[in-house]
Parts: sequence; C-alpha cells; structure tokens
Amino acid sequence: MEAERREQIAKALVERSKADETEVIIATDDRALTRFTHNAIHQNLASANAEARIRVIVSGRTGVASANAGDERALGEGLERALELAGFAPADPLLPELPRPARYAPPAHAFIEATNQASPERQTQIADAIFAAATDGIWAAGYVATTRNGITISNSQSVMASFDSTDAACNAKLTATDSSGYAERFSHDVDEIDGRAIGTIAGDKARRSAHPRAVDPGDWTVILEPAAFGELLAYLTGHFSAQAYDEGSSFFSHNRGLQFAGENVTVVDDFSHPLHRGMPFDYEGTPTKRVALVERGAATGIVTDTTWAAKLGWDNTGHALPAPNAWGPHPRNVVVEAGSKSVEQLIAQTKRGLLISRFWYIRTVDQRKTIVTGMTRDGTFLIEDGELRGGVRNMRFNQSIIEALAGCEFSDTQARTGGYSYSIVVPAAKIERFCFTSLTDF
Amino acid sequence: MEFERGAARALDSALHQGASYADIRYERVREERVEVRNGEVATLSDERSAGYGIRAFCDGAWGFAASDDAGDAGLDGTAARAVAIARASASIAKHRFAEAPSECYVDWFATPVESDPGNVPVGQRVAYLLDVEKHLHAEPTIRVGRAWIDLWHTEKEFYSTTGSKIEQTIVQSGSGIRALAVSDDDAQDRSFPGDIGFYQAGGWEIVEQARLRENASRIGEEAHRLLSAPQAPAGEMDIILGSSQMSLQIHESCGHAAELDRIMGWEANFSGTSFLDPSLVGKLKYGSELVTILIDNTLPRGLATVGYDDEGAKSVKSDVIRDGMLVGFEMSRDTARTIGRPTNACVRAQNWQYVPMIRMCNLVLLPGDRPFEALFEGVRDGLYMESNRSWSIDDHRLNFQFGCQIGFEIKDGKRGRMVKNPTYAGVTPQFWNSCDAIADAASWVAWGTPNCGKGEPMQTGRTAQCASPARFRNVKVGVGYGG
Repeated sequence: MEAERREQIAKALVERSKADETEVIIATDDRALTRFTHNAIHQNLASANAEARIRVIVSGRTGVASANAGDERALGEGLERALELAGFAPADPLLPELPRPARYAPPAHAFIEATNQASPERQTQIADAIFAAATDGIWAAGYVATTRNGITISNSQSVMASFDSTDAACNAKLTATDSSGYAERFSHDVDEIDGRAIGTIAGDKARRSAHPRAVDPGDWTVILEPAAFGELLAYLTGHFSAQAYDEGSSFFSHNRGLQFAGENVTVVDDFSHPLHRGMPFDYEGTPTKRVALVERGAATGIVTDTTWAAKLGWDNTGHALPAPNAWGPHPRNVVVEAGSKSVEQLIAQTKRGLLISRFWYIRTVDQRKTIVTGMTRDGTFLIEDGELRGGVRNMRFNQSIIEALAGCEFSDTQARTGGYSYSIVVPAAKIERFCFTSLTDF
Repeated sequence: MEFERGAARALDSALHQGASYADIRYERVREERVEVRNGEVATLSDERSAGYGIRAFCDGAWGFAASDDAGDAGLDGTAARAVAIARASASIAKHRFAEAPSECYVDWFATPVESDPGNVPVGQRVAYLLDVEKHLHAEPTIRVGRAWIDLWHTEKEFYSTTGSKIEQTIVQSGSGIRALAVSDDDAQDRSFPGDIGFYQAGGWEIVEQARLRENASRIGEEAHRLLSAPQAPAGEMDIILGSSQMSLQIHESCGHAAELDRIMGWEANFSGTSFLDPSLVGKLKYGSELVTILIDNTLPRGLATVGYDDEGAKSVKSDVIRDGMLVGFEMSRDTARTIGRPTNACVRAQNWQYVPMIRMCNLVLLPGDRPFEALFEGVRDGLYMESNRSWSIDDHRLNFQFGCQIGFEIKDGKRGRMVKNPTYAGVTPQFWNSCDAIADAASWVAWGTPNCGKGEPMQTGRTAQCASPARFRNVKVGVGYGG
C-alpha cells in the first residue's frame, strides 16, 4: 500500500471520528524470507499485511482498536470499538494533547528500489552463494530476508507523517564436526548482501575453531564482535527510558550524570545514522531527536514520549512506541561511537583473551545492577600474545553491562546488528574484565 | 464456513499454477487487553485481524504466502506467489525435506467455555483490575503495580486439496498482577500467578480462577520484604521448585530440546539445535524414573489445546519421556516421516500471517505421590524457589541458569526465612536425573506460556507446561551473585 493511499485512509478515519482527539496509524509490512539448513531451503515464504491502529481520547478517556487497513467495513467497526472502549476508561485529567504537526527529515537512504523489487529467485541465489562456501562436510543454516515497510501517522491535531523503507538481512551459521562459525549482514539495499562473503567468513570461523579446547571460566579479556556486543548492549537500552527511570527499575534512576565509563564511551540514539532504518518520527508522529544517552562516559540522556515528557516536565524526544503502550518510551536507533583501532590491532594488543563472534540467550539476572547472563556461540577463539590460537569451548557468562563498559575500547568500524526486537549500530568492543561462570562440552 | 468459496478459489489457483498439493488457513483473530498501571488504565484495546496463509507443495518443496487481501485477485495472486516460492526453493534443492500429505478430515472443534468473556462488560473488567491493582500497593516502597487481563478469540478454517475442511473456534484467557518494590539500591519484582500470569484455554472462568484480588496484598508485601531480605545462598544444595518454575524448567530444558525440527537443524542459525538425536530414543536416561512427560494436545484447559494443528493433523496424546527414558519428540508431518513415525500434531503458527512450524504445545509432567509439604522432609539444608525472574539456556539446550523472584531457605526439613535473588544452574540430563520427588496432583497446575519465541521471522507461540512442585538433589545455586 503506497503512502498516498495510507494517508487517504488515515485522514478519512480521523475526520470521521467523533472523539475529542483521534490518532490513526496505518502500518504495512511486505516481507519475503528464505530459510535454509543443511545447504537446502526448508522454509520459503512471503507475507503482506496492512494494519490500522486507532487511538481515541474522549474527555481524557482512551480507547485503542486495530483492524485490517484494507477493509473499509473493518475500519469503521474499529473506530466504533475504540470509541466504545474509551467510554469504559477512567478519565485521566493530566492526559496530554496529541502532538502537533512538525517537519520531518527522512534520510535519503531508507528506500532502495532493488530491495523493493527483490524476487524469490534473488533470495535463493544469495542462499546458493552461501552453500558454495559450505564444503568439506560443513553445512550452512541461515536466512535471507527482504522487507518493505510503510507507516503513516495521522491525528486530529493535523499531524500527517509518512515514511517508507526497505531492508535486507542475511545470516549464516556454518557447522563443522565439532565447531561452527557465524556471519551476518543488514542493509537497506539487497545488492549489498553478498552471500559468498557471508559464507566465506562463517566457513572460515568454523574451520579455524575446529577441535575447540577447554579453558577455565573466570575473568577474561574479551573482544566482542559487533553481533556479540550489540546483543549485550540491547539489554541496557531499556534503562534509558523515562518510564524505567521514573519507576526506579533503571540503573540510571539513581545514577543520572554518573561518570561510569571512560571518555571513549559515547552512545547516542540517532535515527539518521546511515546504517539505521531512518524513521524520522515516533509512533505518535513526534520528530525523533538525536539524544546522547552516554556522553564521554557519563550517563546523560533519557528518552521520552508525549506522556512521559508531560509527567516529568521534560522535552519530548520523540521515542513513543505504538499505542497501547504500558511500557513507556524506548530508544530505537542506538549507535555506539567507534574507536580508533582495527579489530586486528585490538587482537594484536591482547596478551591473553577471547575473541567472541556471537552471544546467545542473554537474559537479565539483576535489573538494577545490569547483570546479565548468556552463552558464547558460533566461533569463540583463544587469543595469546596477540594472535588467534584456535577455538575454545563455549562458556556461560554473568556480567554487569555497566561494569563492562567501564573498561572497554572500541574498534574503528561500526556495523548494524540486530535481532527481532532491536537494531543497534556498534563497533567491536574490547572489554578488560568479563566474567565467565561455567564451561560447556561443545 | 465463511471462507469456503475463497478457499476453493485459492486452492484451484494453486493447483492450476502447478502445485501438487496446497492448503489454506483462514483466521479471524480478536485480542482484547485491559491493563492497569498505578491506578491508571494503561491499555484498553480490542485488536482484530483477518487473513489467510497458503502452503503450496511443488517439485518436492514448500512455498508459503500470506495476505489480508481476500478478494479474487488477492487470492489468485497469493496462491501464485506461494507456488513461485516453492518452485524457487526446488530450483536449488539438493535433497527434499517434504512429501505432500494425503490425509483428509472434515470436522470442527471448539474450546469448551463455561463463561463467555463477551458477557462480562468491559466496565466490569476495568473496575475489577482497578480494585486488584490498588491492593498491590501494600507498602510505600511499591513504585509500580500492574494488573492485566487478556482475552483471545480465534476463528480458524483449514482447507486442503485432499479435501480437508476443518473449522475451529479457539478461546484462550489469562490474567495476572505484578508489583515492583524499589529502594535506593535495589528493585524487586513479584508477580502472580507464576511469573507471567495464569493463561489457559477457556473463557472468563480462567480469569476468575487466578484469584488476583485474594493475592494482591500478599504479592505487594512480598516485593517489599524482598528489598531487605538476605541474599540467597551460593554453593551446592538440594532445591525445591514451585510448580510455575517447574513449568519454565520443562519448557526450556525438555520442550524445546525435544522439537524434532530443532534436532534436525532447521533452527540451527537462530533458536539453535538440541543435544537430542533420534538414535537416543529408548537409550537416553533423560531423568530419574519419577520423570514422565507427555505431549497432550487434547488436554482440557491446556493453552495449546486445539482439535487440529495448523497443517490439518488431528490432536493426539504421545510421550516424550517415560519413566525417565527418552521416547519421543514434538513433530510435524515432514519431520516425523524422517524417523518413521506419524505426526503428533505439534504444528502451530502465530496467526494467519505466519508459516506453521513445530511448537511444544501442551507438555505434561505427571504428578508424584506425596503432598507438596512432604517435599521439604529430608532436606537438611536447601532452597525453595518460585516464580521465574531470569532464564537462559545454551543453543544445545544443555547448560542452563535460571533465577526466581523469591526463595526460602530450607533447614532441617522446614521452610525458613525468605531470601532474594535466588538462582540455580545445571546441565539438562544431570539435573532431571537428580529429581527424587514430585508433589502429587493436589498441587499440579496446567500453566500456560503465552509468549514463547521461536522461528524466523520470530513467532510468538502459546504453549502449556503442566507440573507439580519437585525436588532436586545437589544443585548449584547462587550463580550470578558470586556462586
């Protein structure tokens, strides 16, 4: 569904609403995904959906309903249901008005026609190129995906914000007899997804980490590649939410302004970074501001939305999630500024440590102390005297993220990494003390 | 059946495009949620969605396409897309994962519902939660109280080119409360029931069974007391897990491990593989002889109970672990065929937009022979834990570390003082083999998990793990806090 059509639907619904205030979000999602294992495709799919999300406010009472955006009758029913629900909600006398119109500055890189036009054959070609690197008994598992997303946010204050983007993603795990390796690539442009390069990197890691040896858990110097560092940092991003800050569940609730890391650590939320998807407004239609979350090692920034800006008397930074949202604002485009050394230099300057490709199943152990646990996975290497000395068995860690950032150094190159709930741009990170607590048999 | 004409058109179109088999799953989904946070209604929503997914089998490979466009052009285009995708898969296939199914069912299923949620006015739901949430604020340290109700209703129609026509109405409900207590240097969460609330198949009666109002003050008080409670011990000791934590333990270290698609490497790059292998059936002593775990997708009230799964296979009961021995897996048609077994109907999709895949569905740990309190007898120095707070397990489903919201020391067979931040860790088969007592049916609960993540794109599955509390000997505790 094109932006023009989305805007027509949203405008018509807002005009039709009898509520004091009305917000309509039309979100479209067209995706194609190819999954493979053992060098063959086992799931191959495409889906298309257009959803309308309607928020109405009547005398300070809020109701939310959603419906298929392409179904006019369903849209009308959705509006009526939202109005009906609002009648059952208690009034909130402090409920702020919906945002007013603003100017948005979408980056030029967000929509790439080649990605929009990618065919199933294109994705199978990328997968096939990965298979070519999976030789000598090594097998590949992974996925290739292309998506096209459109969003329009309209409200009764005359906000009309639309944004279209494309994205392409690929990852591969190549598995050998007793080892595995991993590589990934995210880009707006499917032409930048090089299956052969991804397969080669992952295959090389699988070969070089063969016959992994056991090392003792304990405190290690680690170099986390972007996929590993990004997943670790994802568990800190919620601490920068105004709601978490206010309720006391954030590390920063009692530590705002604290210099907890070195001056080399700067973390920002910046939608305009060329590696991010570039949506220039939040899910209320407020322009998203660049926020310095950590500046030269000090905790500086907290992100807000309309509700939390009003509650705390702060600026609205434009980080709202879609209504209904009981969890507050959230940074959506985190960027860690790069350092000055290459990964190779960081390795060369390490007397004894571990190079880690990827983590798995990180979960918070202690929210306030930012302690998380998780596992290494798919390519963990011993470093001795500045050189890689082969693979080691996987280990479990228990580590405070804040303490990890207190002694770290970054590589000179950033990469976008992400899972299904986050997207982060990070360099590789060398962390002086990282605590491993147990060892596996593989 | 509302979608019969559209389904016939789509299936004809897929066959015309060259598919040798196709099926279509049409769903109308309604999800209602009320959530109160600190005396305010944070969520009052009614979300509806309708659409269909088509699976096409062509040249030995599957293609899947989904759309919300139920017009003729949309149906034809989506069917053609599914076939084109199957052909693209087949074009580089070095081996085949699949065969076209031959089964045909014409049937219907509806979740038994005692009390239709539609008969409970929205205003009554809101008033109930506002009252419940107020009682969480038992102490001034309670900074956040939450109370919520989820009501889900799915109308599902399944048609296949082998003649299947299956109509299902699935009703699932859940509710819960959570209190966050905060001091200058700590924050402690307590939730009820279990860690994510109480979710089962059924109607408003499921919400009533949760007894939120009766427990809200206690949960608030416990969160407050945890702030000043001593740190849980570290070392190696006997532990007793409450039934909701047993649900998590089964989910992570049995349910996911026994998914046959994972075992076959279909999830290798993301969710991971498994330490299990079909050759271990009848040979691997997974747990002690007390441990028997079934898959029962016919279980009354089980959150994953349906009449037929999302590839049109009839729900059955089967074994995963019998008297401690590994005996089976969660399977789809394609994966079951590789080990010479029939499917046990464990295939689900999050909704119409998603490709069906193996999920763990309803896992049932059979209860033991003694009352819950009798588990404490014979423990000289141990730890009782309940309500999950943290969960992590490696991508082979072996090395795990779980944390709970609350713990109690066990001294000389008696429950002692409350402790905070309890954690425990282990390796799956060693842990289950250390199980030496399971409480009886009086404390057995069919816990539902409404948010299990698996697959790409990530799908949220609704599973159930049914268990009584259980005792395990010589377990490592306190990891993450110096243990």
